[in-house]
Amino acid sequence: MNCLEFRRRLLADPLCKDEDLLAHEAECPACAPFAQDVRAKEIRLRSILQAVAPRPGMAERIQLAAGFERRAATRRRWWYGAAASVLLAIGVSMVSLMNTSIERGNVALAQSVVNHIEDEAHHLREAQALPARRVNLVFKRFGAELAADIGPVNFAAECLMRNRNGVHLVLPGTAGPITVFFMPGETPPGVLSVSSPRFQGRILPTEWGSIAVVGEQGERLDGIGERLAAAVQWPQPQAGVVESAVAGRRLAALARVTQQQDG
Amino acid sequence: MASLRTEFDTLVSALAPELFRYAMGLCHNPDTAEDLVQETFLRGWRSRTDLRDSKAARAWLYTILRNEHARLYERQRPEVHDPCSLPDVAVRGYDTSTEAFVMRRALAGLDPDYRDPLLLQVVGGFSCKEIGRILDLNTNTVLTRLFRARKAMRDKLTDPAPQEVSQ
Repeated sequence: MNCLEFRRRLLADPLCKDEDLLAHEAECPACAPFAQDVRAKEIRLRSILQAVAPRPGMAERIQLAAGFERRAATRRRWWYGAAASVLLAIGVSMVSLMNTSIERGNVALAQSVVNHIEDEAHHLREAQALPARRVNLVFKRFGAELAADIGPVNFAAECLMRNRNGVHLVLPGTAGPITVFFMPGETPPGVLSVSSPRFQGRILPTEWGSIAVVGEQGERLDGIGERLAAAVQWPQPQAGVVESAVAGRRLAALARVTQQQDG
Repeated sequence: MASLRTEFDTLVSALAPELFRYAMGLCHNPDTAEDLVQETFLRGWRSRTDLRDSKAARAWLYTILRNEHARLYERQRPEVHDPCSLPDVAVRGYDTSTEAFVMRRALAGLDPDYRDPLLLQVVGGFSCKEIGRILDLNTNTVLTRLFRARKAMRDKLTDPAPQEVSQ
């Protein structure tokens, strides 16, 4: 070991007791006093820095602060838990309410279809087929058009269905007359069944609303709704759906006039 | 949970004084040093899950304190206490000899890259390998920095011209 290497190692760790370091110190007259001076200063520096002591009670103050923080964290966790529970309860209630509301809406739609048929049961007695032009005129009031033949229609009129106007048709069936409602803006989440002691049928959702097809119990209704949906070209929902109450009332008045004319 | 708390309290009692000394070496202000030690233990408690080996707790707390000190200087410029003047409040064991003031000033005047390993060795008693782990340096770099730190201090101590001791 040369003097340079000795001094480098000594200054990196003055209290090092490595044998080669001590051996060089013992045999080198230049490095020995240097090593003694370095060690003396090191011991002095350590005594200066290590003698410092904190104010009495620092450890207790830290333990107290940590205790406060632990309690605060426990309280925070409790509040977070409580808030999460309340939010969950509100969420569950909202979903439940929405589901109940949707279910009620669906039941109400099916029931309103039956009620409408029963209220206007006299239309079921219409036996003569209307000219296609007359049927087309009713659809034209909604901007819709017959794109294909829908077969014989005994009654066709614009009617008010649950605050919205639609098309009311009566077609001849095998077990009795079949009622069809074109209901723009009525958008059930899926196919709904309609049932009463006398009637049975389905409400099919479409892009612009829905079509209800209802016949006497035992009537075969398969495919009628789909065929009619394909045969009628209905405008885009925005154009066909009458949302405002004012427009609804105006069309309701128009429907009454139309029915009077039809009657 | 209770045993964790007991362990924590034991750790505070055992290590708070030496962490205070290390903090004093960094900031020379007893109030700031105590705040640093307290924040170190609180952070340590919050991050206790990060500590996998309880034997490493000491080095881990030194690392937290060093980071806290750096963070303190990032957030604000705390009033830096002149190591050549007496602290505002009495500090037990504070050496008031001229030699001590001169040495503290020389230490405070070091670049942090050199001062940090020196403090860890002198106050913490860590080996070069342990210092390397705390500072994320290899051992040879630690050795070089320790050599340069002491050389710079010796140069400052043997050249008294720029040093003015104020009481």
